[in-house]
Amino acid sequence: MTTSSAKLKSLTENIETIIRGKPQEIKYVVAAMLARGHILLEDNPGAGKTVLAKTLAQSISEGSADFQSTNGGVAFKRIQFTPDLLPMDLIGSHIFDEAKKDFVFKKGPLFTHVLLADEINRASPKVQSALLECMAENQISSGDTTFQLDPFFFTIATQNPIEMEGTYPLPAAQLDRFYMKISFGYVSEEVEFDIYTNYLAIGNGKSTVKQVLTYSDIIHLQQEAENVYVHPEIVKGIVRLVQSTRNHPEIALGSSTRGGITFIKCLKAWALVNQRDYVIEDDIRALAQPVLHHRLIFRNREASRTALQQLVDAEVNKLAKLGIQGKK
Amino acid sequence: MNFEINSERFKQLIIRWAVVLLPTIIIGYITLRFLNFSYTSLSTSIISQTFYFSLGLLAAYSLYYYGARWVVTFLLLWILYWLFEKIISRLPGEFDVFYTTARFQLYSTLFIFGWVFGFLLVRIKWAYIILFGILSIVTLVSISDTIDISLSYILLHIFPVVVYGLYMYFLSPILTERIDWDKKKSAKFLSRVVLFSLLVLLAFIVTESLLKGNVKAVEKELAARGAKGDKDGKNKNKDKDNYDDRDGLMDKTDDGYRLKDTMRVNSKMSQSDKLMFCGKLDNYFPDGSPAPLYFVYHYLTRYDPVKETFTRDVNVPSLDEISVDPTALPMYYSYTDTTMIRKSKGRKLRKIVEAQVYLSENTWKHSVLGPASVFSIQTIPVEKDFQKTFISGYKITSFTSELNNAYFVYNISASPKLEPLQEQRHNELRSVAGYNKIDKEFVDYYTKIPTGGIYDSISKLALSLTSKTAKPVDKVIAVRDFFLKRNENGKRIFRYTLKAGAVDDPNIPSSKMLYNFLFKTHAGYCTYYAGASLFMLRTLGVPTRFTTGFATINRSDKNKGWYWFYASQAHAWTQVYFPGYGWLDFDMTIGNEDQQGAPKPDGTPPLPPPEPWLVLNAKAESVDLITKSLITSFNQLIYFNNPAVLSRIFTRPIDATLCRVLYDKRDTTFAAIHPGDSLIIVSYKDEAKKIPQPRAGVPIEMQVEAFPSPIIADEIHIRVKEKEKKNEDAAKKASPLVEKKMTWQEIAWIVGKVIAGIILLLFLLPIFYLIYCLLRILLSRDVNAKADTIYHAALYRLHMAGLERETETPLEYAQHKVDPALSAGFEEFMRLYLRLKYSNGKLRDGDEAVINTFGKNIANAINKKYGFIKIAFNYFNLLKASHYFQSPQKSDYENQSL
Repeated sequence: MTTSSAKLKSLTENIETIIRGKPQEIKYVVAAMLARGHILLEDNPGAGKTVLAKTLAQSISEGSADFQSTNGGVAFKRIQFTPDLLPMDLIGSHIFDEAKKDFVFKKGPLFTHVLLADEINRASPKVQSALLECMAENQISSGDTTFQLDPFFFTIATQNPIEMEGTYPLPAAQLDRFYMKISFGYVSEEVEFDIYTNYLAIGNGKSTVKQVLTYSDIIHLQQEAENVYVHPEIVKGIVRLVQSTRNHPEIALGSSTRGGITFIKCLKAWALVNQRDYVIEDDIRALAQPVLHHRLIFRNREASRTALQQLVDAEVNKLAKLGIQGKK
Repeated sequence: MNFEINSERFKQLIIRWAVVLLPTIIIGYITLRFLNFSYTSLSTSIISQTFYFSLGLLAAYSLYYYGARWVVTFLLLWILYWLFEKIISRLPGEFDVFYTTARFQLYSTLFIFGWVFGFLLVRIKWAYIILFGILSIVTLVSISDTIDISLSYILLHIFPVVVYGLYMYFLSPILTERIDWDKKKSAKFLSRVVLFSLLVLLAFIVTESLLKGNVKAVEKELAARGAKGDKDGKNKNKDKDNYDDRDGLMDKTDDGYRLKDTMRVNSKMSQSDKLMFCGKLDNYFPDGSPAPLYFVYHYLTRYDPVKETFTRDVNVPSLDEISVDPTALPMYYSYTDTTMIRKSKGRKLRKIVEAQVYLSENTWKHSVLGPASVFSIQTIPVEKDFQKTFISGYKITSFTSELNNAYFVYNISASPKLEPLQEQRHNELRSVAGYNKIDKEFVDYYTKIPTGGIYDSISKLALSLTSKTAKPVDKVIAVRDFFLKRNENGKRIFRYTLKAGAVDDPNIPSSKMLYNFLFKTHAGYCTYYAGASLFMLRTLGVPTRFTTGFATINRSDKNKGWYWFYASQAHAWTQVYFPGYGWLDFDMTIGNEDQQGAPKPDGTPPLPPPEPWLVLNAKAESVDLITKSLITSFNQLIYFNNPAVLSRIFTRPIDATLCRVLYDKRDTTFAAIHPGDSLIIVSYKDEAKKIPQPRAGVPIEMQVEAFPSPIIADEIHIRVKEKEKKNEDAAKKASPLVEKKMTWQEIAWIVGKVIAGIILLLFLLPIFYLIYCLLRILLSRDVNAKADTIYHAALYRLHMAGLERETETPLEYAQHKVDPALSAGFEEFMRLYLRLKYSNGKLRDGDEAVINTFGKNIANAINKKYGFIKIAFNYFNLLKASHYFQSPQKSDYENQSL
């Protein structure tokens, strides 16, 4: 425990040296990674999404043999989604090899450890769904061949706020594939000042990223996150919370069972990121918004802001009132 | 419709039978038991009633559980009805048909009730609230029908329903889910229910013991209310008619109006038109037309010259007033005054007259009202339909003279036809020459008047009227004629008025007013005429007495022999003694020519009570509420109107299935009978009963042996217990003011106290909770429990100190609110606590120390920071405390699935 928490601490701290003023968001990203999930960042351009993804990839060394990165860390690919992008641009395509007189498969950018899918909602739905298959199944199908992806495959997708022009909003079923959806937002005045003075002074930040974890560390940490203990009362609380989203009059579509499963997975990873091997009620509170909010469809804007929060508050309060159960 | 027998679903149904239907059947049984005490139905078998109820309940519950709908309901009920019709058509006798139909009605009603309950329980989640409402209404109705109501009685009846309601309240949330028969869970659940019930019971007991005195007063008031009926309505009436007992003929008492024992003439008289009593007088002329008699109340034989009033006198020679309190007589028991029969004066033209009297509650009921010279009285019950009007009744037997009649005692006869009768009477009485032959002491007593002043001038007047005549009756006629004299214009000199005095001044001596009446104003009411003629006749040596009572007016021939008496008929007149004939009524009062009161209509006469063949004065040995029967022991009885005392005590069962039960002459329920009560048990003569006829010469004990067993009772009168009565009287004497003012102020005061007590208790609740928390800390043994209690106590105390936790989690609360303010190491404790609560790891060394230190630190820190006084005040802030227990925001969106 102590070694893994120290490792996690060094990872988050390492990223924090590059991404200033966002410790919570960094933790979310790390937690999503440890839960073997993917994360969707919704933000305006220029908030540091790409830098975050890159830094994360560079902090981890010794990727699997298949995809070694050029600059030391695990393999990192970035795809800028545009309306004219095609699935094969992601997956790769069969190209006729003159030497072998045969079609060989030229792997696309999806074959990597850390993938940054930039502005995912600008691509057509066809492309989006191609990405989603590999996110869900960890595999890629092209023609009659199926390629397994590496166990460590982590997608950081970004999307512009829906209101902006030229976007294909992700349907609810596809949003469901993302374990978390968070929003970066702007940093505070002091942090911004700090960024302008220090970050610029350092110059090119990429070179300063240390490699603090190895690929096997990540696999190990993912394993460890699975073993985090979730108390039955916490599970009951989550069941109640998920059920209540379905019965809330201002929520048109409640959370699916998959949403609940994902929630528990994320809770475990989150507890680990917070150096605990058990889940507490604070975790529910911290994760409800990023994990559950994008899975629900609200009847109005007001409900979108308050309804989930109210349900979580009620549930957390119930857990807080509870005594120690079943221990004598 | 899904009729597949799914074994899992069936198992669930069986479990629901056990946890839902069984308690419902039990509560149904209890409620039916209570109902059967209060109401008489054709079948008293509660078991079969409950059986049909549960049948409906089970059938409906199971059917609707499997998703049956209206078609099934309709078909099933129709088949049941069709079967019943088949059975009916095959029955041989008419009685059987009637009996079966009546039973079918009862049982089908219960079945349908069960059906509806079952339906509600399956289909509606909150059905138990409806059931609870119905059951408590039914229970309350059955309670309200009882007269000897007490708090414990109410509790006993309400308690099962409350327990049922609570049980269903706890049960209802889990009914929508699949119930697993988990032993641990069910034990926990059961203990919760039991604990809560005990708490409710405790609360009841505490309330009762704390407010015992008040409750007793309320109970008394309740009982009084029950007994007096619509008292408020009557109070209003009292306000309306301005009867003033200072100058009326009657006194207002708690037991109704009574005629005054002493009378003086006043400047005016108040009257009211309340119904006082009604009576049936078996006195008729030979041609069959009713012959009314004045109803006498008291004789005022002595004149008190100091107070100038006429008063009753116990030391009167040959008292001929029956002295018995009718309320003290048990039902159907008679009292005969033998001295009255022995000492009765005047045997000429004497006859015996019987009368029935029914008193309304306006009338003083402790004295006998009846035609003159009552010598025997027997109490009789009032028919049920008339109980609102009349509260008690008795039969009386009295001596009366043929010469006595309301028609001819009256000053001027109502009809010319009666004048010859009046003349006849006078002629008959002319046979009396004087009073020389009779007891001198008697004559002296009844002719005694003061002398001097005004009295002398009255004497002079009297003597001037009758100087030439010698016979007593002529003297009486002369006095009468004096009042009837007309002036030269043919107008009456004397007239009748209620406002006799020129000046309304009570300080004017009444002799002075009498003088004014005779010599100046010539106007007055009955007391004036009676008083004046008494003085005049006594001066003339005629034994005379002042009589109070009621003038009898024959209103119609519709109800022959029945008379209605209103308060305005209260009257005073004179009785004159004629040797050989006894005391005869002579009413000198002049008719009111100015104002003839519109005759009041006849009421409906109460039906005469049926003749009992047996009246037992018995003691209840044991009471069986279910079969409505009791075992009694007795040694006194009235058998075909013959009272008898048995040589030994007999014990007999009594069947009271269709019996009327009365307490203090009011209807009550069978449940009011308790073992040890003394009862009057009445059985009517009835063709259907096997009544053993009395046999002459056979000892009464032998005849009692032949009585049927059980004896079928028609009426049971619970005798008012002597002890209770004494207590009541003592209470009345001790606090006459309270007794009078036990009105709205008193009740409001009591209710106020009760509410204040409850509010005080409410305001103390936050402190009680704190004490509970602290006690738990002291009592908790292992570390987990201790951490738990300290955690809760700390949260509560912080909340009450003003540092409320809002929507943040306890850890955030500790980090961001408590520690910055108090620095008591709350966060450290919280982390430890959360680990204990949610991890599956073991306790570590030092954990206990952290918990203990925190427990001490937080208490000190709170007191230090906020000050003891401020916190103490906060504990009375109920709103603040209630926020602690509230779950925030919209948690009610949960559990709406069904």
